[in-house]
Amino acid sequence: MAYKLRRGQVVRSHTGKSYVVKEFLGSGGQGEVYKAHANGADYAVKWYFPQSATENQLELIKKLIAIGPPTDKFLWPLELLSDSRIKGFGYSMKLRDRNYRGIVDLMKRKMEPSFYTLTVSAIQMVDSFEKLHRKGLCYRDISFGNVFMNEKLGDILICDNDNVTSEKHADKSILGTPRFMAPEIVRGDGLPNVQSDLFSLSVLLFYMFMVHHPLEGRQEASIKCFDLPAMKKLYGTHPVFIFDPINSTNRPVVGVHDNALVFWDLYPQSFKDAFTKSFTKGLAKYKGARLSEAEWKEHLIALKNSIVKCQCGAENFYDISYMRAGKSKTCWACKKLLEIPPRIKIGQDIVILNDHTRIFKHHVDSNRSINFKHIVGQVVRNPQQRDQIGLRNYSDTPWKAKLKTGREVSISRGSTVGLDRVDEINFGNSVVGFVRS
Amino acid sequence: MDIVRPGGELATRPLHFIWVADCSTSMRNNGKMDALNTAIRDAIPHMIRVAEENPNADVMVRAISFASGANWHVEEPVHIDEFRWNDLQAHGVTDMGKAFHLLKDALKMPPMTDRALPPVLVLITDGQPTDDYSDGLKELLKQPWGRKAVRLGIGIGRSANERVLKEFIDNDDIKVLQADNAEELVEYIKWVSTVVLKAASSPASQTEEAVSPTSNVVIPEIPDDFWDDMDVSVEDVW
Repeated sequence: MAYKLRRGQVVRSHTGKSYVVKEFLGSGGQGEVYKAHANGADYAVKWYFPQSATENQLELIKKLIAIGPPTDKFLWPLELLSDSRIKGFGYSMKLRDRNYRGIVDLMKRKMEPSFYTLTVSAIQMVDSFEKLHRKGLCYRDISFGNVFMNEKLGDILICDNDNVTSEKHADKSILGTPRFMAPEIVRGDGLPNVQSDLFSLSVLLFYMFMVHHPLEGRQEASIKCFDLPAMKKLYGTHPVFIFDPINSTNRPVVGVHDNALVFWDLYPQSFKDAFTKSFTKGLAKYKGARLSEAEWKEHLIALKNSIVKCQCGAENFYDISYMRAGKSKTCWACKKLLEIPPRIKIGQDIVILNDHTRIFKHHVDSNRSINFKHIVGQVVRNPQQRDQIGLRNYSDTPWKAKLKTGREVSISRGSTVGLDRVDEINFGNSVVGFVRS
Repeated sequence: MDIVRPGGELATRPLHFIWVADCSTSMRNNGKMDALNTAIRDAIPHMIRVAEENPNADVMVRAISFASGANWHVEEPVHIDEFRWNDLQAHGVTDMGKAFHLLKDALKMPPMTDRALPPVLVLITDGQPTDDYSDGLKELLKQPWGRKAVRLGIGIGRSANERVLKEFIDNDDIKVLQADNAEELVEYIKWVSTVVLKAASSPASQTEEAVSPTSNVVIPEIPDDFWDDMDVSVEDVW
């Protein structure tokens, strides 16, 4: 059970590049990962255990290297590695920056991102899996262990990409991780595909936002020993969503499943409806039963747009269904009535304009291309009159702002329009935002 | 750290990990007792790492020693982060049956809670039981938590009774781990503290086996090359 590679050992790529092993980083079910140095840069090297170093796996890695990563968020196999003195093979990939931490830390509350950062991570994650799926590929093992996030920025990285296969290639070697596998896979009624990836993605999103599993309610609490037969029942043969609007038999139990109860009430109805669909209709595997990545992206962008900062500093969520019903909302932290700041309606998006809120390209671009570095505008405070806020143009396109007086003014890059005096902003390309306060 | 979101950690279940160690006089021979003490102490950081990677389990550790009679070496379940190993001393005969009775009492409800992960019981012995072990074992396996537990057996040296270890394991898919020297004992203890602990607490990516499992916890097989890398090379510190 000693390490497969030793410090100082050299393994070579098929192109002749030498990787010098520096240190052991960790081990998983299929192999061990080391830090290695090659051509002046550090890399991660995964080396397979003999039972996993199969011909099938070798061919898979070769194909993945040839295909290349869907985006730079994937720590994708770069080069195939071998050495005549060691059995088996491995591959190199980019090293994960230490600022990225696993979702397990989020579950253990060792990492405490804001709701905003968490939502940014979720959008990036869904967008990345969408791009993977669009390449005709299937991840097969979406779980806690494979997604890492930057607690401050929300940037994500997706690791363990060596089980990714073509959607058309039925493969039994990896079925997924318990708790994340789609019910049909748990029951043995199917093999992983894009539809089962979508189910696992919904479970991971539920964990990220509720710090709880969507199927663990009264049924889970009644199970004494949580082993594979129990998991098969809960996640495979008898799955019931804990907030199923019709079947109330599996509600969260107070004192056992408190996170589910605490978090569920915080979110807007439309976001909760997305989870409800995922874990009621979405328990079946027919096409369309599960939310697509594009649908999830819309829900997550809407969630990000709806964040309201209470005066106490806590983030809450604006719920249009509450507003329409004339109901008010109290802050979850200080319990005081929430004051709703000005908001802008751009197409279907309603963006709450808190101090520092940013308008991104995806707000003004029908393609919804996700790039959180592409900032179009940002809410700023008037340095002379601190109680006044405005929207500053950070784009190269001049905006046309229609003021409440009826006058139209041009807002060029670096200029700001006061939110208390503007009715409409034309961001260019006929994309118009309507400001309400 | 500021609390920026409400709620707490992910709900967990306890996983009870119990070492059951033979401390008969023969364990003094060939440094077996020292090797066992060292191996368990060295396994603690590995167990902490597995526990850290797993948000679903609270790993709680205990230990029983048996020789002339059986005693709790660590009676109260201790969270793995706070677990310390005090050396066991070898003295007396091999009252394994008495150890099974202690285990059985510990796995009754109460004191066991009605919500846990499958316990992991690791029996380590170098000899033959000197008492009536079968009655204690029968009682242990009658307990639901005893039956649901992952039971592993490590035999030290050729005088260890493999048949008794097999009866304890009571699962054809799990083999007795036969350690013929200190290095092998260290490696097996490391294996049960990591691979087995992980399998019982939060199964990793599943293969076809998991869909139609033959037992309630699938324990990965020991790889064929488990011992291949044990030979020492000149650049190793030895």
